[in-house]
Amino acid sequence: MALILPGCFAILALAIGLYSMSVRQGAAMWWLLAGGIALLVVAATLLGHSWMATILLDIAELAAVALVWVRGTPAAARAARMYLYSIVPAIGCTLVGLTIIGSGAEAPSLVLQKLAVCLLIIGFALKLGLIPFYFWLPEVAASAAPMSAAVVIAIVDIATFSELAGLREVAPWIFERFAPVWTAIALLSMAGGAVLALAQSELKRMLAFSSVTDLGLLLLGVLAGGVGLTGAWVGALNHALSKVILFGAVGIAEYRLGRPVTLDTRGLAKAIPLASAAFVIGAFGLIGVPPGFGFAGYWRLYSAAAQYGGPPLIAFLVVVAALDLLCYARAIHRTWYGSAPVTLASQQPVYLASGVLTCLAACEVLLGLWPSVLTGFASPLVAQALLP
Amino acid sequence: MIDAVFVPTAVLFGGAALEIVLARFLSRSAKGWLAFAIAVVALLSVTPLLPEVRDGQALSATLLDWDAAVPLAYHVDGLSVLFMLMGTGIGAAILLYSVGYMKEEEHGTTRFYSLMLVFIGGLMVLVCSANLLIMYFAWELIGLCSYFLVSFWYQQQPAADGARKVLIITHFAGYGLLAAIMLLYARSGTFLWTDPAIAAALSTGIVVLMLVAAMAKSVMYPLHTWIPEAMNAPTPVSALLHSACYVKAGVFLVARMYSIGPWQAMAPALLLVGCVTMFVGVVFALKQTDLKRLLAFHTVSQLGYIVTGLALNTGLGVAAGLYYIASHALFKGTLFMCAGAVQHATGTRDLRQLGGLYSRMPVTTGIWIVAAAAIMGVPMTNGFVAKWLLFDAALDAHQAVVVLIAWAVSMLTAFSFLKATVSGFFGSPPSQTSAQQIREVPVSMQLGMGVLAGSCVLFGVAPQLLLVPVVAPAVLSLGFAWDVQTNWLGVATGSDSVGVTAGALAVLTAALLGAGAYRLVRSPTGNAVPVFSGGDPLPIGDRLGPSDFAEMAETAFKPVYSLDPDPIYLRIWGGIRDFAAAVGRVAAARVERHAPVAVAACTAGVCVGVWLL
Repeated sequence: MALILPGCFAILALAIGLYSMSVRQGAAMWWLLAGGIALLVVAATLLGHSWMATILLDIAELAAVALVWVRGTPAAARAARMYLYSIVPAIGCTLVGLTIIGSGAEAPSLVLQKLAVCLLIIGFALKLGLIPFYFWLPEVAASAAPMSAAVVIAIVDIATFSELAGLREVAPWIFERFAPVWTAIALLSMAGGAVLALAQSELKRMLAFSSVTDLGLLLLGVLAGGVGLTGAWVGALNHALSKVILFGAVGIAEYRLGRPVTLDTRGLAKAIPLASAAFVIGAFGLIGVPPGFGFAGYWRLYSAAAQYGGPPLIAFLVVVAALDLLCYARAIHRTWYGSAPVTLASQQPVYLASGVLTCLAACEVLLGLWPSVLTGFASPLVAQALLP
Repeated sequence: MIDAVFVPTAVLFGGAALEIVLARFLSRSAKGWLAFAIAVVALLSVTPLLPEVRDGQALSATLLDWDAAVPLAYHVDGLSVLFMLMGTGIGAAILLYSVGYMKEEEHGTTRFYSLMLVFIGGLMVLVCSANLLIMYFAWELIGLCSYFLVSFWYQQQPAADGARKVLIITHFAGYGLLAAIMLLYARSGTFLWTDPAIAAALSTGIVVLMLVAAMAKSVMYPLHTWIPEAMNAPTPVSALLHSACYVKAGVFLVARMYSIGPWQAMAPALLLVGCVTMFVGVVFALKQTDLKRLLAFHTVSQLGYIVTGLALNTGLGVAAGLYYIASHALFKGTLFMCAGAVQHATGTRDLRQLGGLYSRMPVTTGIWIVAAAAIMGVPMTNGFVAKWLLFDAALDAHQAVVVLIAWAVSMLTAFSFLKATVSGFFGSPPSQTSAQQIREVPVSMQLGMGVLAGSCVLFGVAPQLLLVPVVAPAVLSLGFAWDVQTNWLGVATGSDSVGVTAGALAVLTAALLGAGAYRLVRSPTGNAVPVFSGGDPLPIGDRLGPSDFAEMAETAFKPVYSLDPDPIYLRIWGGIRDFAAAVGRVAAARVERHAPVAVAACTAGVCVGVWLL
């Protein structure tokens, strides 16, 4: 994972850059901030679990606030403010929490343990937008430029998640001793995210809530450890990949329509077939339908859930997955498929952006068809987790 | 070098890739011929496996690790080979038919042919895999292929809606299979169903989850409602979906349960589901006036027969079920292709707008009649042998009620196909189509249909050609003894089958007498067919049409139509949507609008939670 994660972030950042050359996301400042965030995240993940990595990621988070802000609209400014109000206390909480636990190898006194875990839970929940600390995420997704949202959700959030998953390896007691609270947040995020995603009519808000669901599932994998942790790593990579595809497809639709894409938009596939195909592949990949890459993470997470919580937890996961499927099937069939004519504000084709999405969608399928290309490469972590 | 068991799969997936690579260089017809050739090569690569599994043996091989510590392992036994032959053989015939059918399709032929090949390839993986996780992967792969093929004309709302229903119902139930596999893995530590640890880990709950997944795939009541909605796909898709590759995946899983472990405690429940399904399916078929929807409901009914046979839990029952699987694939594939030919030639599949096609499409009519005879169970067709075996197996298992239900359903099936045949192919054409230039379909389409119809007759006259080399190894592979004795023109079983034989002879005699009488009193022209209307003669030129049949069925079976589960599904969806909307409103009003307060409250909650631990 030490090389795979930064490599994936670099590739996704490159894809976002190429896409944004075709579908403009912002002025020079946007490019500066997006590039800076990518560099910070890649550097942080290369450094692994360390103070320097934490600080670099915190700077990347603050830069992400600015990335949202630079869109210049009142809605974007409001969303950036909410994001800032969330991120600043979150950074404070995680820094203090990490200071208390030190290297993490040895647990401090019980009172300090509890204080540190409280701060870490609140800090990471705020950063990742887990329920009930999610309030900034849908606003940012809806108001920022599509690729800004992708940078926040697919790169910054996943890098933050990798920091959390790294803690599972160096300080497992944080999760094992306080598992009920972590589990409650994970389950609440999964169920709440899935239900709230169904309640949305705007596609980018829907994508934000589905991220909450997915991060809840990934958190569950971290809690379960072993095969679950491997599933969380693989799932995090898939989340990043599919979210860039999904926001990219919606971004092309918005660019061509000149307005946000909602469930009242109809028949987009006729006008923009490649973006439509990418959205469908990204959606199936995200919710773990074979042969998408998501399944490689999902089966591990389900397996971990069967060991961690037995049949009740598996039943819970099935219900959440069913809600996810309902949500994405509705989005695909109401927005993309169908015969209704659609009026495009821009007739300018976006070949480069479509090409980027096609390549990413092909990666989603090819990695799903043969995940051992990646998971085998990810050994010995995978081997340690899977083999007795 | 790749083991021989992987060759059919490799050929099909490689062929799909070839279709994509060569797309720019091939015409629409050439793509079709290429897909057909690939399916034929796959079929030829399956046949050498037949002798290897003849006496119940199995071939095992591992190709590579699909994922870390998840091997792509095959366990090819008689059951696998039966489904492989069916998938590639019928797939090849359907692809041959597609050459003519898709010739005028301007867009998406590469997508169509590559998906069809992946569809068949997915079935190969499903039926050969020794690894339950790979089996689930293939299960969903063919599910996704069917979704994309049903939504082939995604710009048409009915096609898109049908595809969504396919996706939702079958995928929901598929989660049951995934959950079952994960619970098995948690208990046994292996994904290989050939490992005895899996059988030891099997529980009633896990069996139920697997059977529910199988029920949705093989259109068992009440999970059958997706199949009539999938009819807005290109006809080759419908044919493949109904005959070989999709609904059969469900019955494959039911049959495979005999290999996986002791599941027989659930067999009586499945028997009940099979009987209800065969009855409900045929009753719903009776009121249809759309030819493909009519056939779709007959698929529901026929799958009920198959599941009933498999759930009898005897060697004879399993033999009947497996022979029925292959027979159904042949005649249902033929019927769908005929329906597609009718639509191709006339532009409609509405029986109310059809009639008199016999004089304009004699080859298609002949093929239709053969396949219709097979589904009705007329002697000298494979359908007769299948039904005979099933009735005999049910009698042998002391399930007389099953025989009565199956017999009644057979009568209704005959009634339904009489309606379809008379309305579509005989009488005078209605005014809407009489002026149309209706011509026979291209030769490639006729060949595709004809090969399968010929097989219906071949395996009706000489069922031992299918039973001995193909069905018997499959039965043996599931741990049952082979006690079916065969001869020409039918089957004589080891059990007391005098009554069934006498019944079959009576049916055969009646059919021959009927045909003779028809020849004597009428000349085979395209004139209207006179029928007894229940009272005074109808005015000259009038006749009973499909609407009359539909109304009659609706009156006679009104209580059965109230068993349609779709309104319940709709209410469930409405409930979920309203609940989500209510939660969304609360979240917006309480959490998002008052974020600082909400965060403070949640922080306090987390602190209390942590402090209490």
